[in-house]
Amino acid sequence: MTPTVSASGLSLHYGATRALDDVSLRLTPGVTGLLGPNGAGKTTLLRVLATAVPADRGAFTVLGHDPGSARGRQEVRRRLGYLPQTPGFHPDFTAFEFVDYVAILKELTDRGARHREVRRVLEEVDLGDVRGRRIKKLSGGMRQRVALAAALVGDPGFLVLDEPTVGLDPEQRMRFRELIARAGEGRTVLLSTHQTEDVAMLCHRVLVMASGAVRFDGTPAELTARAAGRVWSSTQRDPGAKAGWRTGTGTFRNVGEPPAGAELLEPTLQDGYLLTLDGAGATEVAA
Amino acid sequence: MSAVMEAAPAVVRTDTRGSVRAVLALARFEARRLLLNVPVVVAFVAYTGWIVWRTQQSWDGYPALQDADRATQGGPLLVGTAVMLCADFAVLRSRRHGTEGHFAVLVVAPWRRTVAHVLSVVPAAALTAVCVAGQFTWEALKPGAIGHGSPAELAVGPLTVLLLGAAGVLLARLAPSPVAAPLLAVCFLFTFVLGAFPAGGEGTAWLAPVVTEAGTDTLPSDLLGRPAAWHALYLAGLALCAAFLAVLAAGGRNVAVKAGVAVTLVLALVGAVGQAGEVSPEVTAARERFSVSPEKEQTCVERGRSTYCAFPEWTARTGTWAGVVDRVQSLAGGSARTQPLVVRQRIDARHGLDGDAALPPSAAAHQVTVGTSWGGNRVPEFSTAVAAVLVAGDEKASGAICDGRMVTLMWLSLSWQDDPLDALRRVRLDDSLSGSAVVLSPTDPLTMTEGQTDVVRRLLERADDDTAGKVKAHWAELTSPDVTTARAAQLLGVAGPRGADSCGE
Repeated sequence: MTPTVSASGLSLHYGATRALDDVSLRLTPGVTGLLGPNGAGKTTLLRVLATAVPADRGAFTVLGHDPGSARGRQEVRRRLGYLPQTPGFHPDFTAFEFVDYVAILKELTDRGARHREVRRVLEEVDLGDVRGRRIKKLSGGMRQRVALAAALVGDPGFLVLDEPTVGLDPEQRMRFRELIARAGEGRTVLLSTHQTEDVAMLCHRVLVMASGAVRFDGTPAELTARAAGRVWSSTQRDPGAKAGWRTGTGTFRNVGEPPAGAELLEPTLQDGYLLTLDGAGATEVAA
Repeated sequence: MSAVMEAAPAVVRTDTRGSVRAVLALARFEARRLLLNVPVVVAFVAYTGWIVWRTQQSWDGYPALQDADRATQGGPLLVGTAVMLCADFAVLRSRRHGTEGHFAVLVVAPWRRTVAHVLSVVPAAALTAVCVAGQFTWEALKPGAIGHGSPAELAVGPLTVLLLGAAGVLLARLAPSPVAAPLLAVCFLFTFVLGAFPAGGEGTAWLAPVVTEAGTDTLPSDLLGRPAAWHALYLAGLALCAAFLAVLAAGGRNVAVKAGVAVTLVLALVGAVGQAGEVSPEVTAARERFSVSPEKEQTCVERGRSTYCAFPEWTARTGTWAGVVDRVQSLAGGSARTQPLVVRQRIDARHGLDGDAALPPSAAAHQVTVGTSWGGNRVPEFSTAVAAVLVAGDEKASGAICDGRMVTLMWLSLSWQDDPLDALRRVRLDDSLSGSAVVLSPTDPLTMTEGQTDVVRRLLERADDDTAGKVKAHWAELTSPDVTTARAAQLLGVAGPRGADSCGE
């Protein structure tokens, strides 16, 4: 399958800090999850792919267009939907006006077609009934859906979502997952998240980043399989485990190299993720 | 999730012309928001309210259109200030609400968004142009309107709105702080509205958007000497230069934008230099001719027994003057009743629009001076001048009247009017109906003593029509320099003066 996004050797430094370190990847249609602890370089990678910042080294194409040139960058932007980590809103705009404004900035110039498109994406994110309401009167979850609608407007071929479910309650998160799953039908979605459940439920593929580099690139099942035989139960925290935590049953779930005779447990995606990080960031994802 | 997934429509994809169309679409979007912004709506409501209020009563229904065009320039300052504030806030909106980073990866570049913000000001300027046109047309359609306006003067209001709007956008790009525009508005208020800037007549005064003069006299169009076209060019150049600079500051550093800055800066400088020059020698000479020898510039028409000489733009008004002369003369007696008069329009234009000097009375026999304004108080003032010439023979002599003739003079002037007592009040400088007072006329004023005021008031209060007959019957004595106020009262059948009857008191 021809990749939507193809990147090789992307590197980016902020002063002495190496934010991206020789990142190469190929993204195909469907939802690809991007996991990693804070500071791993997820947002930097997304911003590079969204043409917000240029890489120091390396190159990439989106739908065959090279953003290295001004013309190519414009072509990429015409095909891009981007939901930033902390999207801003114009609180006095209605939901319709805000998405309409973004649609204009995406060069959707035919007024009638644009308004139909804005109504369509607002319906798609279940905001059709409140499209005339000012954004300052919408809940946090609704605002996040407005931002998703703004990313979806114009039917982009490549959708970049940077932690879209942060701050949402469980019900809102479920609704958002459904929206992302729909968005991934027929287009390429790169979803940055801290939530391994999001990846398990939505993604056909997952990337794990740490220290600016890609540590894993495969399917969720392959990531889970990394923990096969490396998760065990014990009555006390096992000092030899790379990570361990008390579960609701009172026993400890340990991840690492099990001692002989340990009671092995069925691994999860999170276990595979923790082992991929080699312990780094375990406290952040521990249940 | 109950929403039904629809197939995404084939969205129109763009070519290189798409950016232009996107900028225009964004400009429409921003213009709509700008025009619906509360300060702009309030400013336009106040502005149109001011137009309606002012135009209903302006120039007492007899506007000179060469003045009416300049009267359209003040109101747009309010609209322009509101547009400046709102355009500035609109540009800062993305920065204020943290959408800059998001919008930076969208197709329309920030500098093109600035172009859209600049263009969004145009409809506000166009709406101002409609208001200006409405105000001027209203004046022009008044039956008493004379003269003609200047398109360049009429353009100042809309250009001011355009300039202030572009300045708001530029300010947001140079000083991206929400307090910058309000501060500029306050500075603007103090500098250009509250008079800290030099008044008209000085070259630097023309750097302000709206330039007013101290004088209130209406002059013929050819004598105004205002560099209106240069000023319009200056404002247009300045507005466009601010717009191009805003785009440049936003990152639009292409050749077209740089060339735009250069060309519009040259336009503004050419306009500034052109408007800073002295009044041309031709205009100065014409002002002298119109002031010293008005008869050489006038057209005279015969109406009844009298001749009416007016500057070209005022010839339509001679019939109105004749109506007043006929009414006053019909009340007179003796030879004054049939005395042919020459009503001559006179001005003192030697100091241009800043001059406000009173005209000296004419020494020519049976010649009455009329000014360039009409309606309101100008009617009883002219009526008084006609009566004064009928009683004293000429304007200069009438200025020395300090006897009972003043009673006859004021009765002739006022008794034919709809509300004679109100006319008496309006023609007196202190708007009083008692005591001594200065009485206004187109030239030097007359003086009424307290006693004369008593007698004239009683005459005007009296309901019977017998006074006209008595005036005619005793005309010779009533217009004699020897007649006293007491004797005039006696002849006209009212009580004599109770108050002082000496011009010295």
